Amino acid sequence: MKWIKIICVFLLVYVTIAGFLFDVPALPILNEAIRVLFFHVPMWFTMIFLLFISAINSYYYISKGRINYDIKSNEYANVGVFFGMLGIISGMLWAKFTWGTYWTNDPKLNGSALGLLIYFSYFVLRGSVKDELKKAKISSVYNIFAFAMLIPLIFILPRMTDSLHPGNGGNPGFNVYDMNSQLRVVFYPSVIGFILFGIWITNIRVRIKFLNK
Amino acid sequence: MLKKIFIIVSKDLKIDLSQGHLFFSVALYLVSSIFVVYLSFGSVGIKDLSTWVSLFWVLILFGSITSISKSFLHESKKRDYYYYFLLSPTELIFSKLLYNFFYLIILCFIAFGFYSLLIGSFIESYLFFYFILVVGSFSISNCLTLVSAISYQVRNNSSIMSVLSFPIILPILLILIKITKISASNFSWNLVQDDIYLLILLNVITLSLSKILFAYLWRN
Repeated sequence: MKWIKIICVFLLVYVTIAGFLFDVPALPILNEAIRVLFFHVPMWFTMIFLLFISAINSYYYISKGRINYDIKSNEYANVGVFFGMLGIISGMLWAKFTWGTYWTNDPKLNGSALGLLIYFSYFVLRGSVKDELKKAKISSVYNIFAFAMLIPLIFILPRMTDSLHPGNGGNPGFNVYDMNSQLRVVFYPSVIGFILFGIWITNIRVRIKFLNK
Repeated sequence: MLKKIFIIVSKDLKIDLSQGHLFFSVALYLVSSIFVVYLSFGSVGIKDLSTWVSLFWVLILFGSITSISKSFLHESKKRDYYYYFLLSPTELIFSKLLYNFFYLIILCFIAFGFYSLLIGSFIESYLFFYFILVVGSFSISNCLTLVSAISYQVRNNSSIMSVLSFPIILPILLILIKITKISASNFSWNLVQDDIYLLILLNVITLSLSKILFAYLWRN
């Protein structure tokens, strides 16, 4: 855990400095807004990663029945949704300066907003059950089901229709061939750094929950 | 196993037949909401294909949520224990799935008949459209039955069921709306191929997850 923190701090400091100061390819329309790639995309990577761990913890809970797994899965979902909201906000800022509007009726955007809605209803479900064990069981089942439905919503459906979003509907995105190596130097560390950051935050929250018990 | 599933299905059918108001309340719900749509569009009617299709599926969605949320409701608390000794969870969930599937098919056809009677129909390739109705009710029942089992456990049914199911059903609903628009022109397999494959994939996911997860949900 100690090494994770050290690497995380190191990477995030590097990403913050390099993300704002390094050279980026000058493209029409995008201009400096391309720098959002270093912050917006890693947010979504982190969200998917954390939600995946959350679903795995839910599976552990229903198969092994230890309440700790449920607490963990809840906290991973919490932090994952937080990162998702940061992703939406950063994406909206970028869209304002590139597309001219904060929100458009685009499958990728709507899919991600719906993905967050799924997890909000997961929190509603958790809130509506009083009994601790029953809450854990029901919400674990829903969490796994929700994660399975999230994948087509975010990854498959937007790719099947026209979308403005980079990486979908034939637009260039962060594919192997599309991305400039200048960007890659910052992008990959950023992804790893934010994922580690997410794990770190969750770890603290889980420890607080354990102490409260 | 098949025999037990049929027994449960026929038991549900008998309950529904003897208490006819259960089915008729849902059918009336659908019919009156179609009537609301018809009146709110006034004498102009719906002139636009995408409005027609979207409204149709939204109506089906509301009707199916109302009907499927009842699917575990008339199991009383004590009967839970009785089932627990008699059946495996797989048999129970599959019987509920099957029952909801037939239930939804009937509802879908009633809704389509009434909808096209009042508002008119844009459909050109009817055979494909009926196929969509059957596949659609299959997918919707697959997705919602597990959710109704969850909300049955919460015992605070009416609101939690819709909150939980709306975001989850959406991928399926979007595909259904998309391929229904295609059925308004001449049918061609190339146009719908990808969507049908995706729908099959989603059904495989929801079916297998329902089978696996319901076992944990049912156990106390």
